[in-house]
Amino acid sequence: MESIKLRKITSVWVITVLILFIVSITLGILMRLNQGEVISQSPVTFYSNLTTHGLTMIGIWFVAGMAAVNYLMQRYIKTSYAANVIALVFTVIGVLMLWTATFIGKFHAAWTFLYPLPFKEMGAATWATLLFLASLTVLGIGWLIWSISLMTQILKKYSIAQAFAWQHFKKNPKVETPPFILISMITLIGVIACLFAAVVLLVLFYAEYFSKGNFVNDALLMKNLTYFFGHTIANEMLYLGLAVIYELFSEVSGRPKWKTTWYVALAWNFTLIFVLTAFFHHLYMDFVQPEGLQIIGQLASYLASLPAAGVTVFSVFIAVYRTKIKWSLTNLLFFIGIAGWVIGGLGAVIDSTISNNIVLHNTLWVPAHFHTYNAMGNVLFSLGFFYWFSTQFSENSKVSKFTTLTLTLLLIGGIGFLLAFYFGGADSIPRRYSIYPSDFPMAAPMATIGATFATIYLIAILIFFFNIYKRCLKILFSPS
Amino acid sequence: MFKNIVFTIITIGFCIKGNAQTVSAEVKEERNIYEKIYDAPLNVAGKQQLSLHELYNEKPLLLALVFTRCSGVCNPFLLQLKENLQFRTKDNSFNVLVLSFDPRDSIKDMNLLAKKFDLENNKQWFFAVTDSITKLNQSISFNPVWDSVINQYDHDALLVGINSEGYITKKLIGIRRGHDMDLLIASVNNVFSPTYRLPSKNLLFSCFNYDPKTGKNKLGLGLIFIALPAVLTVLMLIFISYFVKHKRPEIEETS
Ligand code: HEM
Repeated sequence: MESIKLRKITSVWVITVLILFIVSITLGILMRLNQGEVISQSPVTFYSNLTTHGLTMIGIWFVAGMAAVNYLMQRYIKTSYAANVIALVFTVIGVLMLWTATFIGKFHAAWTFLYPLPFKEMGAATWATLLFLASLTVLGIGWLIWSISLMTQILKKYSIAQAFAWQHFKKNPKVETPPFILISMITLIGVIACLFAAVVLLVLFYAEYFSKGNFVNDALLMKNLTYFFGHTIANEMLYLGLAVIYELFSEVSGRPKWKTTWYVALAWNFTLIFVLTAFFHHLYMDFVQPEGLQIIGQLASYLASLPAAGVTVFSVFIAVYRTKIKWSLTNLLFFIGIAGWVIGGLGAVIDSTISNNIVLHNTLWVPAHFHTYNAMGNVLFSLGFFYWFSTQFSENSKVSKFTTLTLTLLLIGGIGFLLAFYFGGADSIPRRYSIYPSDFPMAAPMATIGATFATIYLIAILIFFFNIYKRCLKILFSPS
Repeated sequence: MFKNIVFTIITIGFCIKGNAQTVSAEVKEERNIYEKIYDAPLNVAGKQQLSLHELYNEKPLLLALVFTRCSGVCNPFLLQLKENLQFRTKDNSFNVLVLSFDPRDSIKDMNLLAKKFDLENNKQWFFAVTDSITKLNQSISFNPVWDSVINQYDHDALLVGINSEGYITKKLIGIRRGHDMDLLIASVNNVFSPTYRLPSKNLLFSCFNYDPKTGKNKLGLGLIFIALPAVLTVLMLIFISYFVKHKRPEIEETS
């Protein structure tokens, strides 16, 4: 089974992700407190924190999903330990470079660093833009090597058709593709495509940076590439979490293993095709984008998410409905995470509908929905895996007495924090404001309420961290 | 004729100076956008005391900052503004407020200035002074500096667009052409102004290329870059699958 080296590196991933998560949540709370006028940060500090928070969060929950998938994939195929180590080293170096660019260099163009903002930074150090671009390059290279390596390993065992489970479209398929392999493969393809988009984007940024005005970029092209990368990676990291759930939910619940059926295969193949074009919904406000692409954006947003969500919810429902389940922190986190993913996903689908987007565009509705499927969705998928992983090698595997407390605080903190965003969105309060205009009298009090609930969420994460870090350290330092 | 030549020379002179400072002017123009302007009490020529909000609530405002003893940019700036606007006699969607930032200026001085420009009876134009100029200057990041050697203020020629709710929608620094004025007027009326970088030989990879002869957009090289990541991924998938084919074991058949 899985090698000891893989165990050890996975525990390093778990500890690293959790530490970075705690720092990033703290930055989030500081932002909300600033918006609530409880503390006063300069706009440059606020936007540097926004940039650090957004990118670090996306980065860590992506690698958390990858680490989990890599760990579980060892059950089916041999994976490359070297690629895993390269990804870890590049991630740590990349994050350090990013934080230097934002905390010291005061780079503050937000996590989407939309062109031409990186070239028009007021109040940032002159070197910050280059270091920021370099940090993304390092992260991108590490992750690309890791993803391509995992995809290659799958292809060593399964043909393309088998990896995409196409044989399941026929009756009585001779070979079964496990759902975990199907979803991992589909997700890795999307990850590789969006990392290639990042490569093209970065090359164009560098070209303009070093050409000293002899080459300039097309803003529409850069925005398309930015969201090809940004939107897609934010989606794919969720699918990594879902692959883990397909593998572990039934196992930890004491139920029969989930199988790939024709509708599971179909739904995930839809996701493969449509997730790569759903990003067009970020360009509804760009009048130069052809109308055809806007329509594709809306349709792809539905087709990429709804079928996959449908079959997943159905599978979970069947697994828990009127059956005796062995509940543990792991499957409870998975279960609540699925609910968060579906609710946030519905918020996203509402926003991706052109007629609604006119109203909701760039309001707090946007952070409301993406925090729902992240903070109360994907994060919980990975936390479920972290907990399961940490208990795999411990003799004392009895349910921690902190389970109920952790879950209660997570739920109260998470829901309160999100509601403050949703009410803000419904009140048309704009997103990404360091201080709200006086026209929105409810914005600041709502931000303070959001910060209070986020602190409760942070306490839950701290309890969770102290609950599992010792076990992870034990795995790390256990004799080989 | 002579007046026109002098005016042209002065204008070109200021435009060149303006260009030399393009970077800082660009940055300055971005400051305070969508912030509220300070609601200063005004003493308006030919009217009673008013607050700034009473003016902008009535109609959006273009605010020009000058001083009457100015021997530099103020006169060409106002002249150009007047010339720009006189071709828009039908456009009464905004008013113009010429405000002195020099505390020595009195309402009488501003009246004289209005007369000099033949604007004292023009209903669209207001000439005013205020006793709260420091706060107003702060709210629009306007920083005139007194130069005691030449006995003049060193200052930008600043035109500020204010919508009917008092928000600063756009700022123009320097003597500007008609198109910039169009954008300013659109902004104070809350009209969206689509903007797109003009084609240039340095812009190699546009998504679309505008053809002025036909007035149509042609597909550009940039679109290839959008498709490139997906194409590369598919090629890589096929390539890797082909090269690892021989390593693939027989997979057990499901029973
Ligand atoms: C309790 C935990 C969290 C807190 C307190 C928090 C707080 C915030 C705040 C205040 C903002 C700015 C909202 C605005 O636009 O006004 C923000 C933006 C963002 N957050 Fe979080 N967040 C949390 C968790 C997460 C998680 C788990 C993720 C992702 C996996 C995430 C990803 C992001 C991203 C991508 C942005 C957008 C950044 C940008 O606009 O450039 N956050 N968050």
